[in-house]
Amino acid sequence: MTDPVLSVTDLSIRMQGAPTDLVDGLSFDLMPGETLCVVGESGCGKSLTALALMGLLPTPPLRLTGGSARFAGRDLFAMSAPERRQIRGGDMAMIFQEPMTSLNPALRIGEQIAESVRRHSGASRDAARQRALEMLERVRIPAPHKRLDEYPHQLSGGMRQRAMIAMALANDPSVLIADEPTTALDVTIQAQILDLMRALQQQSRTALILITHDLGVVAEMADKVLVMYAGRAVEAGPAASIFRDPQHPYTIGLMSSMPSLGTRTDRLVTIPGVVPPPNALPDGCRFAARCPFADAACAAKPAFDMLGDGHGVACWHAPIEQTRSPAPAMGAIA
Amino acid sequence: MTRTILKATGLRKDFVTQKPLFGAPTVVKAVNGVDLDIQAGETFAIVGESGCGKSTLARLLVRLIEPTEGEVWFNDRDIAHLPADDMRALRKDLQFIFQDPFSSLNPRMTVGALIEEPLRAHGQGDSAARQARVAELLGRVGLTPAHADRFPHEFSGGQRQRIGIARALATGPKLIIGDEPVSALDVSIQAQVVNILEDLKAEFGLTLIVIAHDLAVIRHMSDRVAVMYLGELVEVGRCEDLFSAPRHPYTEALLAAIPIASVGARKARTQLDGDLPNPISPPPGCRFHTRCPYASARCKTEHPPLRAAGPQGAGHQVACHHADDLSLQGLQDASAARSAAASARFDLYRAARGAAPGPATSETT
Repeated sequence: MTDPVLSVTDLSIRMQGAPTDLVDGLSFDLMPGETLCVVGESGCGKSLTALALMGLLPTPPLRLTGGSARFAGRDLFAMSAPERRQIRGGDMAMIFQEPMTSLNPALRIGEQIAESVRRHSGASRDAARQRALEMLERVRIPAPHKRLDEYPHQLSGGMRQRAMIAMALANDPSVLIADEPTTALDVTIQAQILDLMRALQQQSRTALILITHDLGVVAEMADKVLVMYAGRAVEAGPAASIFRDPQHPYTIGLMSSMPSLGTRTDRLVTIPGVVPPPNALPDGCRFAARCPFADAACAAKPAFDMLGDGHGVACWHAPIEQTRSPAPAMGAIA
Repeated sequence: MTRTILKATGLRKDFVTQKPLFGAPTVVKAVNGVDLDIQAGETFAIVGESGCGKSTLARLLVRLIEPTEGEVWFNDRDIAHLPADDMRALRKDLQFIFQDPFSSLNPRMTVGALIEEPLRAHGQGDSAARQARVAELLGRVGLTPAHADRFPHEFSGGQRQRIGIARALATGPKLIIGDEPVSALDVSIQAQVVNILEDLKAEFGLTLIVIAHDLAVIRHMSDRVAVMYLGELVEVGRCEDLFSAPRHPYTEALLAAIPIASVGARKARTQLDGDLPNPISPPPGCRFHTRCPYASARCKTEHPPLRAAGPQGAGHQVACHHADDLSLQGLQDASAARSAAASARFDLYRAARGAAPGPATSETT
């Protein structure tokens, strides 16, 4: 049994002045070479989690209120700032959603990649430039010699995202966090980038945390899935198991609100309402207000129950077919 | 008994990107000779990658920008050459929903004032009547009349898009163009807005033109689809025909690139290499030949016109020299891969939401 490369336990993040945690007790393990997809709507805390792991959380207004993240045998959250800097961009790297805003517009592509190589490996200027060229070739950018001396604005969106990936992988990280890496791209370019990430991952055995809201992308990429709602993990497990046997009403609602590519239906099923605002998160199940199965039991926080096979769910009423059967165990029916 | 409500012929829009002191200016042909027929009451979708000119086309169709060449006929009037005053009067019939609900609403106006503005501009009703109409519209898009006194920043993205829809509906338009109306929204919110658009369309007998890049949403909403590539239409057809049996290689590639939400559903895909070519200097011949896996020598020199294809009467059109010899792959049915347990839970969820399969609201037209 190999050890996880990253092990997060009870991660909690709070906003200044808020009575409850924005991200509340999040735990997961990431194995070497594995792809974990984190799914959820905007504001569910998936990006905050990524920023916290990278040590990029804007404090204040946000701060960690608990939890640990063991990476290579040490707790990331207990490290000093210089130690974090050594890891960030080196052994742990991140790709952002919008490559145009995360690349430096005034630096040539080659310089940006080389900068990170030199910072982390102490390579010479020439060696770093050579490495940058090699990385551009690996991410299959056409005419890499030419691209090396171009500025980000001269590249198309897909090419920029490739350059970002080249930069993130330049130091052979053991963990790569990608926050919606293909959301801003067209479907054809998205397919290219996903293929590329899969191929590179197979070569390098980098573990990948892929943050997305597109269940299609999840089905294509994930080994494991973590479904988040309003800062909590509501369901997690192997991808095949999540899609074959979805448990949480939120997961089921998300899956059914996507337009089906199979038979055409008259109307889309919706999840009513909106995500609760961060300053008014309920104590009990945070999804209860939007859940068609909610009743009095949901006023208490549901535990995260493991169903075996690594598949777990935090819901009083999972599986739902038993809830809807004649005699509900819990008193009132909403 | 279909009736054409909007018709475009030879529509072209050039943008001058660079005007040197001497010599010829650099011109982008954003829309290059588009012919379209939109039927009254249908939902017509325009798809394509970013930079293909679909937003420019949408703006041309309601004359938010002036065409370089060509005509746009709305109910037998050429709106491309209408005097400004007549055009302004006609605007109440032609409305637009923008992509970004964060930048398309004036942040300093209340929601009530925003929705009332088009009514005032067209001199409809007195103050009391307009207020009543605002309250009614807010109710129609799933908000409450109390929301009228609030400002746009107090709303979420989905709610703002509803405000945009209410504003577009205010003057009782015949035709609404939505430029990526749901792409900025989360999946669950997206479904709500798509449903609202469909309900309103049925209720008010609207014609809807939707610009989008999400093919799943397009497939759900539209009756007919036009696929656009580098400023030109490459395929037009009924939604089910186009998705199940595409006739243009580009359409096939677009369909193959959709990620399917079912583990292991993906078959080997026809990969489309490279990016959209620079529209300043589009490739000669067929504009798609640089990325097309089926391209022949003919495609490099001869430009294929948009022509009828497939069975008579289906109205399918394609711009490809080889459309008749190719057998292209349509969308694979992914729902078959869905497990019984998952399907049963989807049905339970649907039942619990009270949205029984089939009509959930009145289908009055």
